[in-house]
Amino acid sequence: MKTSKYLVFKAPVWGLGALFFLASCDKTVAPAQPYDEGVLVINEGNFSDNNGSLSLVNRASTTASFDVFLKENTRPITGGISGYAEVDGKGLILVDNSTAGQDKVEIVDARTMKSIATLTSADIENPRDVVGVGSNKAYVLCWGATGSFPNFYANPGYVAVVDLSTNKVTKKIALQKGAEGIAVVGTEAFVGAVGGERLVQVIDIQKDEIKAASIATGGNAGNLQVDANNKIWAFVGREALRIDPAGKTIEARISVGSSTTKSPSTMAMSADKRTIYYVSSFFDATDGFKQKGEMYSFKISDTAISGASPLARRVFTGLGYDPKSNLIYAGSTPSYKQASYVLRYQPDGKVVDSVKVEIAPTGFFFK
Amino acid sequence: MFLGTFVKCFIGIWLILWSIGSLQAQRDSSRTLQTVTVRGFSPERFMGGLKIQRADSALVAAYRFQTLADFMATQAPLQLKSYGAGQLTTVGFRGTSANHTAVLWNGINVNSPMLGQTDFSTIPLAGFDQLSIQYGAAASCVGTDAVGGSILLSSVPNFKKMGFEASFGQRVASFDNYQTQAGFRFSSVLNKNWQLAGKTLLFGGQLHNHFPYTERRGYLVEPSETFQKGLIQDLYFRHKNRQQISLNIWLADNKLALAPSNPVSREITQSKAYRFLSNFELGKTMLRVGFIRDIIDYGKGPDFEANPNHSETDRFILRAEHELDFAKPKITARLGGEVVHYRTRVDGYGGGLITENRADVYVLVRYQVSSRLLASLNLRQAFITRYDPPFTPSLGLEYRLKNTENQLVTLKTNMARSYRVPTLNERYWRMLGNPNIRPEHGFNQEVGLEMKQNFSQKLKASGSVTAFHNRMDDWTYWNPDRGYRVENLQLVAARGLELQTNLSYQTEKLSAGFFAQYALTRSSQERVYDPTAQDIVGKQLIYLPLHTASVNVFVEIPQLAKTFGLGKSRLTVLWQGSSLRYYTFDNSKFIKGYQLVNLLFETNVEVAGLRGKVALQVDNVFDTLYLNVKRNAMPGRNFAVNLNVHI
Repeated sequence: MKTSKYLVFKAPVWGLGALFFLASCDKTVAPAQPYDEGVLVINEGNFSDNNGSLSLVNRASTTASFDVFLKENTRPITGGISGYAEVDGKGLILVDNSTAGQDKVEIVDARTMKSIATLTSADIENPRDVVGVGSNKAYVLCWGATGSFPNFYANPGYVAVVDLSTNKVTKKIALQKGAEGIAVVGTEAFVGAVGGERLVQVIDIQKDEIKAASIATGGNAGNLQVDANNKIWAFVGREALRIDPAGKTIEARISVGSSTTKSPSTMAMSADKRTIYYVSSFFDATDGFKQKGEMYSFKISDTAISGASPLARRVFTGLGYDPKSNLIYAGSTPSYKQASYVLRYQPDGKVVDSVKVEIAPTGFFFK
Repeated sequence: MFLGTFVKCFIGIWLILWSIGSLQAQRDSSRTLQTVTVRGFSPERFMGGLKIQRADSALVAAYRFQTLADFMATQAPLQLKSYGAGQLTTVGFRGTSANHTAVLWNGINVNSPMLGQTDFSTIPLAGFDQLSIQYGAAASCVGTDAVGGSILLSSVPNFKKMGFEASFGQRVASFDNYQTQAGFRFSSVLNKNWQLAGKTLLFGGQLHNHFPYTERRGYLVEPSETFQKGLIQDLYFRHKNRQQISLNIWLADNKLALAPSNPVSREITQSKAYRFLSNFELGKTMLRVGFIRDIIDYGKGPDFEANPNHSETDRFILRAEHELDFAKPKITARLGGEVVHYRTRVDGYGGGLITENRADVYVLVRYQVSSRLLASLNLRQAFITRYDPPFTPSLGLEYRLKNTENQLVTLKTNMARSYRVPTLNERYWRMLGNPNIRPEHGFNQEVGLEMKQNFSQKLKASGSVTAFHNRMDDWTYWNPDRGYRVENLQLVAARGLELQTNLSYQTEKLSAGFFAQYALTRSSQERVYDPTAQDIVGKQLIYLPLHTASVNVFVEIPQLAKTFGLGKSRLTVLWQGSSLRYYTFDNSKFIKGYQLVNLLFETNVEVAGLRGKVALQVDNVFDTLYLNVKRNAMPGRNFAVNLNVHI
């Protein structure tokens, strides 16, 4: 009896053993997952429709998979999407609902888009940006509760420190009002704002504490990008600022073009981080206030930005640079009530193709 | 799927019933059909060829604690656009927008002049004695906004029921929602010449919406709170020499808070309306004066108290009408003129006083050509400070194909121009409005067949089929491509088919009824005005389901349990279904279709000399998940107890 029992057990054990053996031989190549490759398009959605979504664009294809969170979790994103980042295999989706107290951060497995955890209000209120700041640690930048104009940024902004091993917010670091735009250099995070005191504030990412030193920008800097020389770039008004994070000083202020009507926005860095792409736009009073604009670029070594030769004569709601294919991804939004397109450009502005995505692509995550 | 099956069943039942009915009618012509009597100066008389549905008074009574929004949801062909429980809810007809629905209170358009629409969630059902739903363009008859249809709310004095009756009502519903009503009706002879009739109703509601869940199947349930209060006062003095003086007052205050527990970000919208109307009728001449003040205050957090965004518009209305009756040919002509003076102060317009005058002259003609043929011809011209809407004629015909005592078959058709005067927001909103924006104009055509049939004294049926086509040009659009400036951009074509059937069975021991409606509505924008409109042209308009249907079945018995004082009792089942609704112009995104079932049980109670009615209501019986336009979940299964006592 004993023997037969042993035999019954033996076959599967051997089978399992063989599987383990095979698996250990091939340890470096885990089975491919659906979201290992491609470009995630961050569709902001229309504010009151609460219909932000992530579309997955395959680099070799001109059709996208829509609303991949809904597809993988059979429940929806319940707001607009204001940011996405991946930290140690986890994706953080910032969800901004039109009503206060309804915002979230959806934490997903970055390779499968399956939900792992959800952070909710009071931890998260008006999330604006997310960045990884260490192992299993992310900063989610929030405005806090907002009021109405002219006191729109009613509360101070803050960073919600997210521990991705427990999927909890462990701390809130108070910031200026309208905190938005974050860049990490070394052991420090630099945080801009679209309201408030016109500062770039500095956070020690090891201690999760704000530092006394901050950089006065003279205007709102809501998008910060780090270049090849570890300098931080931001647009303030019609100027590009180059910030020295080590010295906490503004090294350069360069006028962006000579136009007095157009404003630069939506900055993207090339793969080598030596070229900056941006959109310059305005509402044309002579043509029924139609929004018009172009895409331009400049080098980080430039001492002047002429804004004279556009790469593309279109307005975009989002720009991204794919380091794998060396293409510019540009989001074109006809209205917030119809599907948008992502146009792919060569770095010299030659259009490659276009992909229909969802509502208002404002950002890209290149996998 | 369900709707396809529903339509087939619907048409099947309908055809079978009619064929049986025709046979029976031939056999027995001794039974009589009920004729509808129309009283007073109701505009319905001049809406020949149009589809008008008098709302079921028993259902209206059952919904007395609820709002027009709740009631309209049970009427299939109407397209409701709801932002949530107790929140903004608008109604569109036949593939037109909420701005194309005229809401008339005793003949006066009460749409907000700033927004050009009515929030049905702010209108209590209890205050009106009669509610009619009129489909199709009737702008020639009632003026601006009646492009897709009209809702007619009327007060009707009851001089016959002499005496005084006080009533009190309370509703207790799920989620800490409460509504209270108190009022009285009276009718008395003042002296040998004058009679007085009227009513007073005070109402209030506290809808806390304390849902026991924050999400339903992954969709958020938005926290909101609504406080409502109001007064309705009707007074009618009638002289025996065909004179009547009346006064109607309707005061309403509705305060809605989103995210009410958030002190900084809660969004509060308070709308107040003060409406006064007085009629002087001498024979066939009528003079009407009215005053309406609409106020909307909006603010977030402490700003609502300290510095709300304020909108206020006053309307001074003067209308005169005279009716001419001719015996041969049998023509009734109503000549009328109206002048309205607008005074508006809106923060969004810059805050200063803006005034404008509007005037209308019109002739409404009803011509009974023969016993079978009725024609109505209406002509209207409106004049507005700085610009004039188009001349608006309409022609309606009704021909009785069959007119026996037990069977009435009427063929109806109507052709009408219509218009909508742009809202004050569209004209005066700082930067984005356009003072020179043109009125929208439409052309509506419809044809219908209406049938009534008495199978026996017990079993009666009626039904109708209507097909329509409505083309609207210069449709205004807050164009995102121009920084949301308003423009006369779009051309919209709406077409569809509506079916309606009603069966009633009545004996001494039991009465029962079945009322079903179905609508197929296709409405699309047809003009390419810029390159991106290519993706939009021909697509179904947003929030408009292709199929809608509703069924209302009831059973009533005269005595439920005598020993407990339980008298007449009625059980009603309401079903409504809607196919998917697109919410992007290019139809790339949609909200799923749904079916809802509501149950209503009412019983009359008489205990210790007190007469009353108790109603138990279960809404969303099957806990269906359905979404509002913010893509938040509407409430799941919920319960209410209504109590009404008469003294």
